[in-house]
Amino acid sequence: MRRLTAIFIAAALIGLLSLAYWSVGRQKAPEKREALGVNRILAGAPAAGFARAVAPRRFVFPRDHGPHAGFRSEWWYFTGNLTDGQGRRFGYQLTLFRVALAPQAPVRGSRWGSNEIFMAHFAVTDVAGKRFRYAERFSRAALGLAGAGGTPLAVRLEDWSALESAERPWSMKLSAADPEAGMAIELDLRSLTREILNGEGGLSRKGGRPGNASYYYSMPRMATSGTIRVGQESYRVSGLSWLDREWSTSALEEEQAGWDWFALQLDDGRDLMFYRLRRRDGSADPHSAGTLVTADGASRQLRPDQVQLEAIGWWTSPASGVRYPSVWRMRIPAHGIDLELTPRLADQELAASFRYWEGAVAVRGRAGGVGGSGYVEMTGY
Amino acid sequence: MPAPLVELKGVCKSFREGDRERVVLRDASLTVGQGEWVFLLGRSGCGKSTLLNLIGGIDAPDAGEVIVGSSALNRLNERERTLFRRNDIGFVFQFYNLIPTLTVEENVLLPLELIGALTPALRGRARDLLEQVGLAERAASFPDRLSGGEQQRVAVARALVHRPKLVLADEPTGNLDAETGTLVLDLFQRLLRATGTAMVLVTHSSEVARLADRVLTIRDGGLCEIPRTSGNEP
Amino acid sequence: MILWRAGLRNALRHPWLTVLAVIGVSLGVAVVNAVDLANEASQRAFRIAAQTVAGRATHQVVGGPAGLAERIYTDIRVGRHFRGSAPVVTGNLLLKNAAGAASLQVIGIDPFAEPPIRSFSSQFADSAVLAALVGRPGTALMLRQTARELGLQRGDSFSVEAGGLSRKLTLVGLLEAPDELSRLGLASLLVTDIATAQEILGWSGRLSRIDLVLPEGSAGERLLAEIRSALPAGAAIIPAGSRAGALDRMTRAFRLNLTALSLLALVVGMFLIYNTMTFSVVRRRRLIGMLRALGVSRRQIFAMILGEALIIGVAGTVIGLVCGTLLGAELTRLVTRTINDLYFVLEVRRVPLLPGALLKAGLLGIAATLAAACPAALEATGAPPRAVLSRSAIEARRRKSVPLLALIGLLTMLAGGALLLFEGGGIVGGFAGLFAVIIGYTLEIPAIVVLAAGALRPVMAALFGVIGKMAARGVVVSLSRTGVATAAMVVALSAGIGVGIMVGGFRLTVQSWLANWLQADVYLRSSDSGGGRYRPPLDPALLQRLTSLPGAESFSLSRRVSIEGAQGGTEIFSLAVPKDAFLRYPFKEGSARDAWESFSRGDSVLLSEPYSYRHHLHRGDRVTLRTDRGERSFPVSGVIFDYGSDSGIVLMSRVAYLRNFQDREVDGISFYAREGVTSGELADQIRKRGGESRISIISNRELRSATMTVFDRTFQITGVLRIVTMVVAFVGILSALMAMQVERARELAVLRAVGLTPRQVWGVVCGETALIGLIAGLLSIPLGIAEALVLVYVVNLRSFGWTMQLSIEPAYLLQALLLSLCAALLAGVYPSLLMARSSTALALKEEG
Repeated sequence: MRRLTAIFIAAALIGLLSLAYWSVGRQKAPEKREALGVNRILAGAPAAGFARAVAPRRFVFPRDHGPHAGFRSEWWYFTGNLTDGQGRRFGYQLTLFRVALAPQAPVRGSRWGSNEIFMAHFAVTDVAGKRFRYAERFSRAALGLAGAGGTPLAVRLEDWSALESAERPWSMKLSAADPEAGMAIELDLRSLTREILNGEGGLSRKGGRPGNASYYYSMPRMATSGTIRVGQESYRVSGLSWLDREWSTSALEEEQAGWDWFALQLDDGRDLMFYRLRRRDGSADPHSAGTLVTADGASRQLRPDQVQLEAIGWWTSPASGVRYPSVWRMRIPAHGIDLELTPRLADQELAASFRYWEGAVAVRGRAGGVGGSGYVEMTGY
Repeated sequence: MPAPLVELKGVCKSFREGDRERVVLRDASLTVGQGEWVFLLGRSGCGKSTLLNLIGGIDAPDAGEVIVGSSALNRLNERERTLFRRNDIGFVFQFYNLIPTLTVEENVLLPLELIGALTPALRGRARDLLEQVGLAERAASFPDRLSGGEQQRVAVARALVHRPKLVLADEPTGNLDAETGTLVLDLFQRLLRATGTAMVLVTHSSEVARLADRVLTIRDGGLCEIPRTSGNEP
Repeated sequence: MILWRAGLRNALRHPWLTVLAVIGVSLGVAVVNAVDLANEASQRAFRIAAQTVAGRATHQVVGGPAGLAERIYTDIRVGRHFRGSAPVVTGNLLLKNAAGAASLQVIGIDPFAEPPIRSFSSQFADSAVLAALVGRPGTALMLRQTARELGLQRGDSFSVEAGGLSRKLTLVGLLEAPDELSRLGLASLLVTDIATAQEILGWSGRLSRIDLVLPEGSAGERLLAEIRSALPAGAAIIPAGSRAGALDRMTRAFRLNLTALSLLALVVGMFLIYNTMTFSVVRRRRLIGMLRALGVSRRQIFAMILGEALIIGVAGTVIGLVCGTLLGAELTRLVTRTINDLYFVLEVRRVPLLPGALLKAGLLGIAATLAAACPAALEATGAPPRAVLSRSAIEARRRKSVPLLALIGLLTMLAGGALLLFEGGGIVGGFAGLFAVIIGYTLEIPAIVVLAAGALRPVMAALFGVIGKMAARGVVVSLSRTGVATAAMVVALSAGIGVGIMVGGFRLTVQSWLANWLQADVYLRSSDSGGGRYRPPLDPALLQRLTSLPGAESFSLSRRVSIEGAQGGTEIFSLAVPKDAFLRYPFKEGSARDAWESFSRGDSVLLSEPYSYRHHLHRGDRVTLRTDRGERSFPVSGVIFDYGSDSGIVLMSRVAYLRNFQDREVDGISFYAREGVTSGELADQIRKRGGESRISIISNRELRSATMTVFDRTFQITGVLRIVTMVVAFVGILSALMAMQVERARELAVLRAVGLTPRQVWGVVCGETALIGLIAGLLSIPLGIAEALVLVYVVNLRSFGWTMQLSIEPAYLLQALLLSLCAALLAGVYPSLLMARSSTALALKEEG
């Protein structure tokens, strides 16, 4: 569901970027970011000409790993919990967003002309070093500066890239570095599961109106190994990654304020995705949903009434002053799940063009239950 | 005998005129007592005005001493002599020499301002003086609106306003008709004699000279007294 | 203060004299201020625009004439992971709409690469702006104020002309300038996405430059070396500031020349003040003596005179600053136009109030007034405290100092001459020498006046009898005032003559150069002049169509480009020229015949005279240029006269150009008509085949006259300054002579009393002033010619590297003579009228 994040990040980026960019040099970008509003940007009729997620579709892989021109936004959302030989824990996030300004590529004399903009967020959580690093980039899909497509698939924004390295099992090679922030990753990801379609055969409804939905599938469990560099040090790491793929044209509705999204890999081999949409009045939106993947690869949709979610700890960002839930308790009695989710670092807030919290969490099973690890995303706070 | 007010001792003064040197005063000596009126009589160009300038500190002698009051003028520099003049001397000229761009009253006030004593009381004194010279109602006029006699009366007022010990007058009636001249001389009588102010006056009129306590003339660069002919000795 | 009152009333009693003195100061200050404003405004506009456009870039990657390939950018940014880089496509275009036309600089940027670089600041009301800018073709942003001036609102469309084509753009957003500086910088900027800029400027696939933000220190050095190694041969990295600096340098000589001219006006104004103050002191000698007798100290007198001068100075300065600001707006227009004609495209949209320039001109005005009044004040304090001092005594003293002054003048002139001969002195040395010669000469003037008046006395006597004799004597007798007045007049007149001769000679030189240089019958260029000297290339299809015109005997193709470097641009003019045309080129060094062989083969280049002068390169030397094949050195086979560019140009044959630069474009064609075909017929043939292209077809004659128009435009500002200087001089001599005659009222009354008729008195007065006018006029001629020589052989050569012919146009000399006579005669009128009006008796009664 963070994918929604992406949507409005992508849309917001346009405004925010301008704010940030045109006022560079004077001061930091004005603090009125949320004023643009998630909903204001995502709500309402989408620009004419874009395709919309109205009905379930047939997914074909590996083709659907690639971009879906015609939809306004799309992302490749990698997160993962990794550990080096000494047990030093890391979290990473590499997200590549595609945002179309127009449904079709324009016919232009200049090769700079493009209807697509890419945005990427890259973050590394250094648990032992107690430091969260992140960076943000934008570029247009032109001249090889950014883009997605090809066989094998390549998704890149300048020198940050996710490249398909094998078709079966489907594998990706991620590389990104940000010298200023002092972080880099070189990771090989190999999927351990098939593609898991979320929602109704991959159609994930976010609101009551038809079309306010996205196509959404996940690769919840990808074996990951490679190197992470933080500061001057490089670490050989391994662990599990999670890839979310989502594309849509419009998703959120007017009264939806944000969401809390959970992607958890349990030690018993089950994977759990759940997002709770929050309405402006603070209540949970009935379109909240989730998917539980059993160890044998079977998936089951979760309805909001099956999942009990409770924030039991809070954290206030010193940078933005915003208060986020920090420790969660999640119960799914029907599946014998009772978990407590604790951030590996309290501060995993990305104060990028769009401010949100996205970070690695430790998953502890309550009452002797199974634990694991995962990622949580919180927006709209 | 009280100390003399003015004392000239062996004063020499000459001027360059082209290549020639013209000696005006040679070893001239003069004493003027407190309140005494000494008139210099003689034809034009004999050095009367030069003598006046020396006493007034306008010129410096080539040699000799010029002592006025407690000041040895020949030892003072230009600036000190200016200050001396400002405080101790009142000038009356043949051509009145009022400042054309100042009103009658301002002309009279000028010496007070120069000695930095422009107080209301002293302003009153200027008024009084103008009253006494009979020009109070012309106070706001500019000098060029006044007749010669009137201008000279203003000049007299200006010369006296700061109560100098000594008035130097250079042919004050030279430019006036007899009647007006008498008027000015009357003013001198009235205002100076009353305050016991000494005066050195240059004139070529023996008529005027009769008012003097002593009459001198310059002969060959030296001063010599002219004995009184008529009998109005005090 | 009663004493001050006296001074003030003195000024009020002679309002005309005071007014003239104030005018003198204000004119001087106004000119200095105006020129300063014009210089500063244009320079600032350029510098700030350059800075705004350069942003925080520390370095720039620049290419050859065709710019840089886009690949270089992606290679630096992605391949070499260097994100402190941003591509720029920039050019000029002309915006035309109902509200008028404006030339704007387009800057095409990639907003996503920008954040570390530029600081165009803006608060967009909504998020759609960037999407529109990047996503939609033909979209642009501009400063809100600029949009308002052009009558545009957000969402409006407007036409622009660039590269000879007309296009429609849409204003999709407005930039907000957070401060005055950014406002200036953004005023003439049209910001577009890089794609749009490439499209409207016809630069698809190419970049104008790549801005780099390199860290300081060794890390920066390392990066610089790495990026440099990645560049192709034609590209180079230059420090970002060097552009602005180079253009500063380019126009420095031009600006310096203007400043010198303006200072001349101030010098003349100073003469005027000196004159007024001296006169005011001399006139009041008796009064001052009286005051001294009353016990007013020297210091008080000094303060009084300087106080009066200060009042005049302040009044004049204030008026001068106001007038200067107004004049400055006009001069800025002229300066900007000249800069556009000669150097680069610059639009100064408004003349800001520059506190620095105002302060400078203000201080200069007051300081000059006080300095000019100082001699008078000193003289006043020197007055002995005696009631009567004859004027003749002062004047006698003045006359005695005449030989000494003459000697000092001679020495000053010699020093000035030496300074002029010293090559290393540069432009400043040239002007310093020139000023020394002028000052020295003015010191000679009293001596010359005495001699001249003496010599003229018999002539005057013969012509006008006793009256004439009296007038001639009067001039000598009142030398103390006439000398200075005459000197002031001479300085101004000679400046007029000198500048006139210089410009005239220059004009002739350019004319005869054009006759040699422009030999073809018809010239064709793109009609777009938005790029200043550089025109966009012609359509290749058009070229194809034009190569086989029936009326053309032959044609030559040319291309004018600028190679950006750390020292600014080097202009390369490449052309394929027929041999006969080449043989008539005006060579300064070498000969066309000897140079032809290697030049036409592309083995050597020619330099223009300014280039040769500036870079100390001569025939037989080698000139190094950055080509698309890297640095190349070319033998110089000749130096030719060229008055088209004062930065100088390198001429190479098209063969050599094509060999060294990856640029096959042509921006000009010149056609030589076949026997029996008139240029009009040839032009018609071209026009017929021209089709849709926006081209300008211009005949030899038209081109010559157009060039001369530009030339005349360039010197318009010089002409304006010259006129102002003359006006100052006119006012000067008027006030000086008038003052003198007013002072003589009593003397004239005596003359009337002894039986001169009013007409005869008028004769004396005007005879005297006319004599001074005549002497001034005559004296200004040799000095004027000397100034012209210095301007031509020293100042212009050192400023621009141009040699030119000297032609002394008698008209300029006559003009000067006439002007001085007129001023002098006019100066006599007022006192004469005064005399006629006032009663003799009253004048006699007023004591002298």
